[in-house]
Amino acid sequence: MSSRTGRRPIRSAAWRISLWATLAFAVGTTVVFVFLQSFVAGDIQRRTDAWLSGEVEVLGDVAEHTPKDDLYDRVVGEVAELASREVPNKIASESEPDNAVFFLQAGSDGALKLWVGQGNGDEYLKSIRAIKLLPDRPADLRVPGSNMPYRVASIGTDDGSQIYLGLSERDELRVLWSLRQRFLLLWLLIVLLGFGIVFLATSRMLSHVRKITDAASRIGHSDLRERVPTNKRNDEVSRLAETLNGMLDRIESSIHQLHTITDSLAHDLRSPLTAIRGKLEMSVSQAADGEQGEQIVSAIEELDRLTDFLNKSLDVAEARADALRLTRSSIDLGERVRVMIDLYEPSMSERGLRVNLLCSETVQIDGDEALIHRMVANLLDNELKHLPQHCTLDIQVRRDNGNAELTLEDNGPGFDSEVLQHIFERRVKGRGSNGHGLGLAFIDAVARAHGGEVTASNREAGGAHIKVTLPLASAAELDGDVAAISAEPTDQA
Amino acid sequence: MRLLLVEDEIDIQSFLRRSLQEAGYQVEVASDGKSGERLAIDGSFDILIVDLGLPDQDGITLILHLRQLGVRAPVLILSARRSVDDRVRGLEQGGDDYLTKPFALAELLARLRNLLKRNSPADRESTRLRVQDLELDLLRREATRGGKLLQLTQQEFVLLEYLCRNAGRVVTRSMILDEVWGMRIQPDTNVVDVHIYRLRGKVDGAGQPPLIRTMRGVGYVLKDR
Repeated sequence: MSSRTGRRPIRSAAWRISLWATLAFAVGTTVVFVFLQSFVAGDIQRRTDAWLSGEVEVLGDVAEHTPKDDLYDRVVGEVAELASREVPNKIASESEPDNAVFFLQAGSDGALKLWVGQGNGDEYLKSIRAIKLLPDRPADLRVPGSNMPYRVASIGTDDGSQIYLGLSERDELRVLWSLRQRFLLLWLLIVLLGFGIVFLATSRMLSHVRKITDAASRIGHSDLRERVPTNKRNDEVSRLAETLNGMLDRIESSIHQLHTITDSLAHDLRSPLTAIRGKLEMSVSQAADGEQGEQIVSAIEELDRLTDFLNKSLDVAEARADALRLTRSSIDLGERVRVMIDLYEPSMSERGLRVNLLCSETVQIDGDEALIHRMVANLLDNELKHLPQHCTLDIQVRRDNGNAELTLEDNGPGFDSEVLQHIFERRVKGRGSNGHGLGLAFIDAVARAHGGEVTASNREAGGAHIKVTLPLASAAELDGDVAAISAEPTDQA
Repeated sequence: MRLLLVEDEIDIQSFLRRSLQEAGYQVEVASDGKSGERLAIDGSFDILIVDLGLPDQDGITLILHLRQLGVRAPVLILSARRSVDDRVRGLEQGGDDYLTKPFALAELLARLRNLLKRNSPADRESTRLRVQDLELDLLRREATRGGKLLQLTQQEFVLLEYLCRNAGRVVTRSMILDEVWGMRIQPDTNVVDVHIYRLRGKVDGAGQPPLIRTMRGVGYVLKDR
């Protein structure tokens, strides 16, 4: 069954849907996070900048108003020291030296005048020189040898010196880092959870669809009574099921109508046929052998041909509409073909035809006995009528890919190419055929009613090739008795 | 033998009544299910012929109902339907038989005989069959005519046995197909005729009076006198 192959989750639609939904969700949340993070980062920076600008102004003021004596360095240094204690968002750190803030004053000649902070002031000054720092515009600063970026604000004093105040961005980065870390953790959790939920929800919904598919595929050509399962939720899937069931109702009722029509047609034609035949038969027993009797007998024969034609026409009509009624039972196809060949073999050899049957295994099918018999009889009738003398017919019954296969190959003239295209249509018959052209249409119809098919082709070596494929009986326990029933190939001629 | 015919078609009714009477049955006729049921319960019939398409009820319903009422006589079902449904199959397994219309009278009579025979103690126990100078040993699967062994295949022996069991009565091609090959088919070709032709070649040798006769339009008969 084709729906079975889709059971692997990776191939299922639920898997794909959840994958896409999760992807969209993940991308969406990431975009939101990036926006949030830049907002937070911007806010922290704005506060830092405000503090830096304020402090650097104070320091500039102090530096300007402090007399340039020996105490200058100490006073300004201490003010700077004090400022560093008021660092915003400060996180105490024990492992690293406290180098959150530096204060730097460069003289008008550009040389380092005053340095408060860790490390070498000249390095910092050099780095500051490398970036163009505008007054009142704090900027980022990277100092070689230190892995922390700084935010630096500057202010000029009246004496031409520049005052720089730097604040390490360590805390800011740490905040953002932990934000990112937590986000990533939560993001992973949410995405996985989301995937799981979407997958469960869609596969629940799709399992219903799968049930519908399974049920629909079980509803064969002949059994229209079954319906696909419905549920109480009034969603799309249940509406699909209801629509399918409605469609099946309509199909069933039209098939039923067809049955009624063909049945009553058959009945209306058969009753008079029965009466006519009966009366003819009675009068033939009364009329002594003679010309009259001869005429009555040939009338009876004509009547039988008419009946046969009526039967076949109605069968083919029903079969074309996929409305053949099957009464299934377990059939050993090889055995039936063998019996049928026993029946046909004398007629075949009478016409100088050879028949070989090759059947080395038990091929059990679930089929309508009468229809299968008639199908095989039709196939053999067909060969018998069309094969020229001294031809050989090879018949093979075997199992192939879970199907029963009945193959007929002959070395006769094969099918006309124009006939071959429409071979299974009604009333198509080969040149010089004296049948009514229903044989192959009937064979095709029976095979299809059983869920199988018939193919006809011409062999490369010349001759016709007809292959009937029918589903094997589902029971697996039949494997056991293969050896018991298998027989040597029958070779009759 | 008392026979009840439940059939609504007047034409079929009349010719069946006549031919059944000619065949030695005492025939009562009912045209619908109701009167058929009444007759079947009142009169004790040996056998019933019931048409499936009755005007007032389904033939199968009638048969099942009669069975419930304790009517034991075997039933030959006449059906104008082409396919035989499960319920008919069920009845067939229960010892009844069916025949689709149109049918050969010979076949109808043969099926009636079979049904009656099934219901009476079997006379199939004998191991030898004898028709004129033709003799069949059923155990050894050998046939002799005038004391001379006939070279028959398995299939031919079964066919000859069937003809012998019905000696003096006509058997149709479809009866032969049903009884000897076990299938109800209507071949487009004369496969049965070829079998009979071959068998006749072996049974009715040169110089001997022919035993197997062809009844055109009907079938074959093995002459018993």
